[in-house]
Amino acid sequence: MTVAPLIEVKNIKKYFPYKKGLFGKKGFVKAVDGVSFSVNKGETFGLVGESGCGKSTTGRMIMNLLEPTEGAIIFEGHDLGSLNENEVRDLRKDFQMIFQDPYASLNPRMRVKEIIAEPLVIHGLLNGKQREKRVHELLEVVGLSSYHGERYPHEFSGGQRQRIGIARALAVNPKLIIADEPVSALDVSIQSQILNLLQDLQEEFGLTYVFIAHDLSVVEHISSRIGVMYLGRMVELADKDSLYEEPLHPYTQSLISAVPIPNPRIKRERIVLQGDIPSPSNPPSGCTFHTRCPFVTDLCKSQIPAFKETRPGHFTACHLYND
Amino acid sequence: MRDKLLTIENLKTHFFSDDGIVPAVDGVNITIKKGETVGIVGESGCGKSVTSLSVMRLLKDTPGRVVGGSIQFKGKDLLSLSDREMRNIRGNEIAMIFQEPMTSLNPVLTIGRQIKEAVGLHLGLEGKKAHEHVIEMLKLVGIPRAEEIVNEYPHQLSGGMRQRVMIAMAMSCKPKLLIADEPTTALDVTIQAQILELMKKLSAEEETAIMLITHDLGVVAEMCDRVVVMYAGKVVEEADIYELFENPKHPYTKGLLQSIPKLREKKNRLGSIPGTVPNPLERPPGCKFAPRCSEVFDLCREVEPELLPVGADHQCRCLLYQRDLVKEA
Repeated sequence: MTVAPLIEVKNIKKYFPYKKGLFGKKGFVKAVDGVSFSVNKGETFGLVGESGCGKSTTGRMIMNLLEPTEGAIIFEGHDLGSLNENEVRDLRKDFQMIFQDPYASLNPRMRVKEIIAEPLVIHGLLNGKQREKRVHELLEVVGLSSYHGERYPHEFSGGQRQRIGIARALAVNPKLIIADEPVSALDVSIQSQILNLLQDLQEEFGLTYVFIAHDLSVVEHISSRIGVMYLGRMVELADKDSLYEEPLHPYTQSLISAVPIPNPRIKRERIVLQGDIPSPSNPPSGCTFHTRCPFVTDLCKSQIPAFKETRPGHFTACHLYND
Repeated sequence: MRDKLLTIENLKTHFFSDDGIVPAVDGVNITIKKGETVGIVGESGCGKSVTSLSVMRLLKDTPGRVVGGSIQFKGKDLLSLSDREMRNIRGNEIAMIFQEPMTSLNPVLTIGRQIKEAVGLHLGLEGKKAHEHVIEMLKLVGIPRAEEIVNEYPHQLSGGMRQRVMIAMAMSCKPKLLIADEPTTALDVTIQAQILELMKKLSAEEETAIMLITHDLGVVAEMCDRVVVMYAGKVVEEADIYELFENPKHPYTKGLLQSIPKLREKKNRLGSIPGTVPNPLERPPGCKFAPRCSEVFDLCREVEPELLPVGADHQCRCLLYQRDLVKEA
């Protein structure tokens, strides 16, 4: 591809220090341990994995809400780590975030119009009348009415609150939106409304999404390329079709086979993984998946598999494909 | 025909709040046969959890009260039993598991102690025998190192392990009916798969009927023999699992099935149901689904449809299939 990616994530790591007991030994929770990917303009990049795999931490590092322990995030040629606070704030306009919990992410003491206008105020965009006009415009874009602006968040249902969160994210005309589990707290019928809205907005405003979720069916529906994470590492990355048609990594295979299919006629042989996800404070040696992998070999226990392009555009980190 | 185990008839459970009466469950009929798995599906606020709490008679500390209908379990009317008689059934013949295993386990008691409580109370097992039974149950639900885990506390276990403990506890007295309220919603997919397999295996071995409350139609398709769809406190459709997925009748059921993304479906847009669930204090007259329905006609806003048969073992609450009846009226 000749187009330069909108955002490039290069081998980022995030270690959170912890201390066991008062005099106990210190250690690190390796929440993200060397993740690289790039997102092209106008696409939706899905990031899937189970709890504790580091997908949200990755999202927060891209948003610059967390500073990476190592590695670089390059947004349109700017290395976020090398910018000072003011420069980052200026750039922040271009990337916004939508959160999972529509109840916790809106200030209950602010009116909806104030919530949506806040990014405009912070970035000093538009004044009085124009600002109000923009808020009304945004409310309509996300399927609410302008009179909703006078109300407080508690007067809205979960789906409507998520629309408010989306309107706030859109206020400053961002290029990139990071959506962290934006529909997992919503009911099924509302979930599809929000997914459709996100797709419409992408088309209308040429947005790029990083879509973080644990639900594989939702991620497949909305994404063009998908990265699968396990215990802080990217284990597979491919475009949607090759990932779901031919998953290479044993973890991806079992993850896909574990999704319950809403069709009672389909009876599948399921790969049920044994055991639990190990703790990221004490991850297994070698390939972190080796404790649950059905194809484990001695090599897996000692050596970390490299993240390599196994098929064109299809990357995986597994010894089965490295020879 | 298998024996009827649980028959809920015209159940009405209302909550008395400062703002008015909330008819959370508003005339619900459900029957569960011996050994059968029945799914209860619906979105938040449809009354599916309140129905299960009414069966367990666990509404005491809430502003809710059963104001009408009956719940028959093996011929006994649960609503007319004394508290003591109900205690003998609860945990013994009818057991329940909840969504969040951490909040339903006592954090200051060991796992073994908590399971032993039920075993002592209902099976009269004490001391060494009780201990052995507990370890056997933990092994049955696939907990490794069961001998050590009995002496551990809930916070030492992962979410999936805690849910296994809950299931071990619920199954320890070999209940006839297991009520599972969103048992896998808080769990990761690979762990969910383990728990569902386990529930299937146990229900087949022990002939336990399961009332599975969930919002996940994938889980329903995988687990259930029959499905009850609820909306705004009422059953809107009930059918055999294949019938419901292949020949849904109610516009709400159809909408739900179209709004879920399915793996490898390659659909560009999902179907969706416009609007939101009505506030239970201001439910519309007529059909409760009318304001969101794509096939609505004038009469829907006036006449409340009844739950009537639309095929073999298939019932639906929709005027589309009751036009003749409406004309007569």
